[in-house]
Amino acid sequence: MYDGTFEGFLSLVHEVYYKKYTPHAITRVMPHANLVDTIVEIHYDALQSQKVFQGLKKGFDKKHVDLILHMFLCDREDFELDLLAYIQLGFKNKKELYNINHPSVFYLQNLQKELLRHYHKYSGFLRFEELEDGTLYAKIDSKFSLVYLLGGHFLKRLNNQNFIIHDPKRALAFVKYGEDAQVRSVSDFELPTLSGEEKRFKKLWQTFFKSVAIETRQNEKLQKQLVPLVYRTYMSEFEG
Amino acid sequence: MKKDIYAKMQILSDSAKYDVSCSSSGSENNYKTGELGATHNSGICHTFSADGRCISLLKVLLTNYCIYDCAYCINRASNDIPRAAFSPRELADITINFYKRNYIEGLFLSSGIIESENRTMEMMLRVLEILRFEYKFNGYIHVKLIPGSDGALIDKVVRLASRVSSNIELPSDASLKLLAPNKTKEKVLQPLKLARDLSLERTNKPIGMSTQLIVGATPESDFDILKLSSVLYDKALLKRVYYSAYIPVNDDKNLPALVNKPPLLREHRLYQADWLLRFYGFGYDELLSQERPHLDEALDPKTIWAMQNLHLFPVEINSASKEELIRIPGIGIRGAHKILSARRFQRLTFEDLSKLKISLKRARYFITCHREFQKEVPLYEETLRRALTAPKKGYMPNLFDVSGITGEL
Repeated sequence: MYDGTFEGFLSLVHEVYYKKYTPHAITRVMPHANLVDTIVEIHYDALQSQKVFQGLKKGFDKKHVDLILHMFLCDREDFELDLLAYIQLGFKNKKELYNINHPSVFYLQNLQKELLRHYHKYSGFLRFEELEDGTLYAKIDSKFSLVYLLGGHFLKRLNNQNFIIHDPKRALAFVKYGEDAQVRSVSDFELPTLSGEEKRFKKLWQTFFKSVAIETRQNEKLQKQLVPLVYRTYMSEFEG
Repeated sequence: MKKDIYAKMQILSDSAKYDVSCSSSGSENNYKTGELGATHNSGICHTFSADGRCISLLKVLLTNYCIYDCAYCINRASNDIPRAAFSPRELADITINFYKRNYIEGLFLSSGIIESENRTMEMMLRVLEILRFEYKFNGYIHVKLIPGSDGALIDKVVRLASRVSSNIELPSDASLKLLAPNKTKEKVLQPLKLARDLSLERTNKPIGMSTQLIVGATPESDFDILKLSSVLYDKALLKRVYYSAYIPVNDDKNLPALVNKPPLLREHRLYQADWLLRFYGFGYDELLSQERPHLDEALDPKTIWAMQNLHLFPVEINSASKEELIRIPGIGIRGAHKILSARRFQRLTFEDLSKLKISLKRARYFITCHREFQKEVPLYEETLRRALTAPKKGYMPNLFDVSGITGEL
C-alpha cells in the first residue's frame, strides 16, 4: 500500500528494488487483512524518492518520464502494477520501453493516449462563464484529473484574462490571477455571481448552435458519438 | 425595423451553414504573453451540431444581402428570405466574448455581396482589424475571399487571416455558367492565386487555403472532381478541398429535381478518396479512370484499388515498406506506425496484430504474417467482394460509423 502520489510511488519503487519484494497488488487504501497476503505499508521518504527520480531522469528518455508522470493523473484507473513493471523494465534496458509488444508498455501507452484524448476533448468542451469581476470560471467533472493540463493550455490562450478551472469532485482548481498561475486545493467554494452580460452571450451561443445545423442532414447518433453525454454536464448548448 | 441581435445571429448563421469547412487545424501554435488567443496545430472541435458536424469556428455571414443570383445558393438575390447584417464592431465583440468562454476557436467570416465586391471585402477587413489590432486576438480567423475584389484589399486580408478560401462550388466552367451566371472559374480562382503569390513573397510557406465543391447538382463524375482536386493540390494552391453533398434549397429549372436526401454516401467516398490523395500517396488516376468514372458506393476506394491490383498482394507484414503498408485496405497511418515499431522487436503473427488492436476486418484478406495466409477466402476479386460486403449477423452497417464528414484530422 502507498499514498497514491508520484513521490510516494517512487519510494515504493525503491523499497521493492532493495528489499526484493514481488507485489501482487498495489493499493492506495489499506486493504482488508487476510491470512494469505502480507501487507506492506510504504511511507514516503524524500531521500529515496529523490534518488529514484534522479535515476529516472538520467536513465529514461523524456517521453517515458512524461508517461510515468501522466499516470498519476489517471487517478481512477489501476495502473500501479504495470507502472512498476514499466519502471523495472526501463532500468534494465531503456530501449525495451519502445517495445509495444510488451503488455505493460502497451497498456500504459494506451492509458496515456486515453488521458490525452480526454484532455484534448475538454480543451474544446470546457465552458467558461464570466463572473462579476470579469474572471472566467469553468467547472469540470472528468474521469481523469485534468486541471493541471488544461490550466497550461488556457494559460496560452487566455493570457490577459483571469480564470479558474474548478474540479469540484477532486477539490482541485487551476487559478490564474494576474501573473500568478497554479493548481490549488479548494475545500469549499461559494457559488460565484455571474456577470450581467453572461446570460446574453449564453443565449446568443444557443441561438447560433441551433441554427447552424442543417436539418436535411440531421444525425443525432453521430452527434452523440462525437460529444458523448458524459461531457455535456456543463455545456450550455445542451441545456434543456 | 431594427432586428435584435438574436434574430441577426439566427439569420446569418443559418445562411452560412452550407459552407462545410469548419476546421481550425494546420496553423502553427502561437501565443503571446499579455494577449488573447492562440491557434492549435491539430485544431479543436468545441461542440458538434445536431447534424453531427464539428463546430470549431463562429461561422456567420457578415451579411446575407447579395447582388448575385446563383441558382444553388440560399442567399441568391431573387430569393425572398429575411435579410440582416452585422456591423464589423458587433461581430468582433461577439467573437471575443465567445472565444473567452471557450465556445469557439475563432471566426469563420463569409459574406454575401453587398453593394460591390470591394465594399464587401473592406467591411470584412474591418472586422479583422478590430480583432487583431484592438483586441490583440491571435486566434484562428478564416476569411472567404470575395472574387473580383481588389488585389490590395486581398493582400491586407491575407496578412491578417489564418486561412483564406474561395469556393469553386461547381467543378466545371459549363456548370458555373449554367448555375452561377455572375461567376467564372477564372474569377473564382483569381483571389486564391493572388493570395498564394502574395504570401509566397513574404515567407516560403504560403497561407493555408481551401475551397468547396458541390457534389450532385451537376453531371460531373467523381473522376472529374478528383482530377480537379488533385491538380489544385499539386499546384500548392490549396490545403483542403471540401465536398458538399448538394442540398436543394431553391427550385430552379437548371437544378436537378428536388430530392429528399442529399448524396451523403457519395460525399463520404469522395472524402475517403481525397484522404488517399493527400496522405497515402495515391494518384487520382490510380483510383478512377475515364472508363470507371465513379467511386464504388459499396466499398471504400482503397479496397477497390487493391482488388484491381491483386498482383501486388498479399503483402508480408514483417517486411513491407511503410508505403506498401499504408496501401493495405483497412490499415491506416497509425496502424502502419504500430506495425513498424512492433516488428523491430519480434516477428509479428496475426495474433500479435490483434493484440496491438489493429483492425483485421479488411486487412486480413490482403496480408501474410510471416508467410502465413488466411485460408477461407482466395485472392480473387469476386470472392473478396463477397466476403467484404457480406452483412454481419445482428449488425447493420451505418455510413456514419466512420466520419469523413467532420474533416477532423
